[in-house]
Amino acid sequence: MSAVEQDSAAPGAAMRAGAPPARKAARRRLEPFAAASYVTVTLFGLFCLVPLWMIVAGSLTDESVLGLNGYSLFPQPFSLRAYELLFTGQSLLNGYIASLFITVVGTILSISCTASIAWVIARRLPGISRPLTIFAYVPMLFNGGLVPFYLLVTQVLGLTNSWFAMILPLMLAPFLIFVTVSFFRQMPEEILDAARIDGAGELRIFFQIVLPLSKPILAVLGLFYAVTYWNEWFTGLLFLTDPDKFPLQLILQNLISNVTNAASLPSSAGAAMAPVYQLRFAMTVLTVAPILLAYPFAQRFFVKGITLGATKG
Amino acid sequence: MSVTKQKAARAGSRRRQLSSRENLLLLLLAVPGIAWFVVFAYGPMAGLVVAFKAFNIRDGIFGSPWNGLANFRYFLMSGDAATIVFNTVFLNALFLGASLFAGLVLALMLNEIRGGPYRRFMQSAIFFPYFVSPIVISIMLQVILSGVGGRGGLVNNLLSIVDLPQVAWYTEPGAWPWILTIVKVWQLGGYTSVIFLAAITSISEEVYEAAALDGASRWRMALSITVPLLLPTFAVLVVLGVGRMFFGDFATIYAIVQDNGVLFPTTDVIDTYVFRSLRMIGDFGTTAAIGLFQSVVGFVFVAAAVLVQRRFQKESSIL
Repeated sequence: MSAVEQDSAAPGAAMRAGAPPARKAARRRLEPFAAASYVTVTLFGLFCLVPLWMIVAGSLTDESVLGLNGYSLFPQPFSLRAYELLFTGQSLLNGYIASLFITVVGTILSISCTASIAWVIARRLPGISRPLTIFAYVPMLFNGGLVPFYLLVTQVLGLTNSWFAMILPLMLAPFLIFVTVSFFRQMPEEILDAARIDGAGELRIFFQIVLPLSKPILAVLGLFYAVTYWNEWFTGLLFLTDPDKFPLQLILQNLISNVTNAASLPSSAGAAMAPVYQLRFAMTVLTVAPILLAYPFAQRFFVKGITLGATKG
Repeated sequence: MSVTKQKAARAGSRRRQLSSRENLLLLLLAVPGIAWFVVFAYGPMAGLVVAFKAFNIRDGIFGSPWNGLANFRYFLMSGDAATIVFNTVFLNALFLGASLFAGLVLALMLNEIRGGPYRRFMQSAIFFPYFVSPIVISIMLQVILSGVGGRGGLVNNLLSIVDLPQVAWYTEPGAWPWILTIVKVWQLGGYTSVIFLAAITSISEEVYEAAALDGASRWRMALSITVPLLLPTFAVLVVLGVGRMFFGDFATIYAIVQDNGVLFPTTDVIDTYVFRSLRMIGDFGTTAAIGLFQSVVGFVFVAAAVLVQRRFQKESSIL
């Protein structure tokens, strides 16, 4: 199905069927272009990973070295002080609670609304599906801009300082709706007909047949939305003013504008004693950590989503 | 209209016509989505009237007095208009060109690497930056360019090894279009390569076998087979990018530049300008006017892009 699966399946199949000439030739001697490819891809891979590594290494390096160089490539002298302080303080916990609430509640709302509106569009109901398609498409072409949006959330909906100000504006992504529609349209009609003959109603068909069969696309949706919510900070910047409600990204934002803000992270430690540089790195690591941990399992779903979007969008 | 009828007819022949009660039940499923679109997508469009008003919070959106085109005139007179419009388009063009080129080269090269743990690892590594939030990118960039708390940084230490003078990057506006472009390549290179790789897997293996029989090298095949066959994909991505040309990359740019005024001459785009004038000056009318200007010009870009893309889709089977 996805590019990755096809990629990994192709060489295996080729080997079983007796490798085609091109591959045999390539295996015998390394061509210059292939050699250049290995070198370039490796270098680019390092280019992608080194900044990440510098943050991790910095978070484990003693403050005395960080204060001198401003960065660290090897955690030496090794120190866990920043993590100890963060895990005993209140800030990190508050940040995680906020980020988790926004991500979990947001993702659930997003998946439900995206899947249900996509199903109605995908059913090709006369007089409903087509107007609905246009209705969902127009916002991709034209939008009201920042000011009316700001007034809507603050004046009309009154969501200032509420986590829902970071959830609701991102709840539907028209692009993902259309990706889901194209997935639903591949669903075999026979299954639905069989259910109808057994007397199932339209809602029951959606909840008990369509949704269970759509787990792959629901996973794609969930992961795309979850990453968006986890990384979101713009709406927080606009609508959250109470530091106790800040999600992780917003806490980091505060650290960018002023490094000494890091001293306020561990509430128990004295401000003068706090390793501000190391704390900042550690906080960054803990903000990326959930994505980093989920990434190996989630990557193929992202590839699948992009491939679906690229070929069907 | 006739297309709709045809589709309806086709649907009717394939499946039992739904009763109106069932239609209503199905429509119920769409209600939350429709409500969201009305409030968050169409609501702000109505709010655009603010652009033609002398807005004040007390009288609200619809109660504030009209002031015609004064907001637009004020923006055009301010002298910032030309700079931010130029920056928006120029930076977007740089980002688009660089990330597409990087993605294409990476896809071609990844394609040369035999499947296996090494390739899987490298593919994961170069795709990962796409999931890193702008704020985290900003912190990484500070470490590399100036060190945490402004003490050296990796680049400056490398410069001093080869005896070049240290650069205070965050006070050097001329370098920033290129620094931001490198950041975008880091962020989007892997993502774009995934799209191209998906297109490469749809190219038939037979073409390469024929080329191999003719004695073509892998380089020759990449240049004369893969690249031409990727052109439709490339073209669609260009068109989509051009459609977004008038909308600045707020998240990345604001996360990195913040309110560092020294860098504004080369990095301030429409979106960051709008954000700042809303947050700092609180001038709703003028800000809404800039927003409307952006939406209208942006719409022209997007609409043109959609039309061109439709054309491409008819001509190519890949996208």
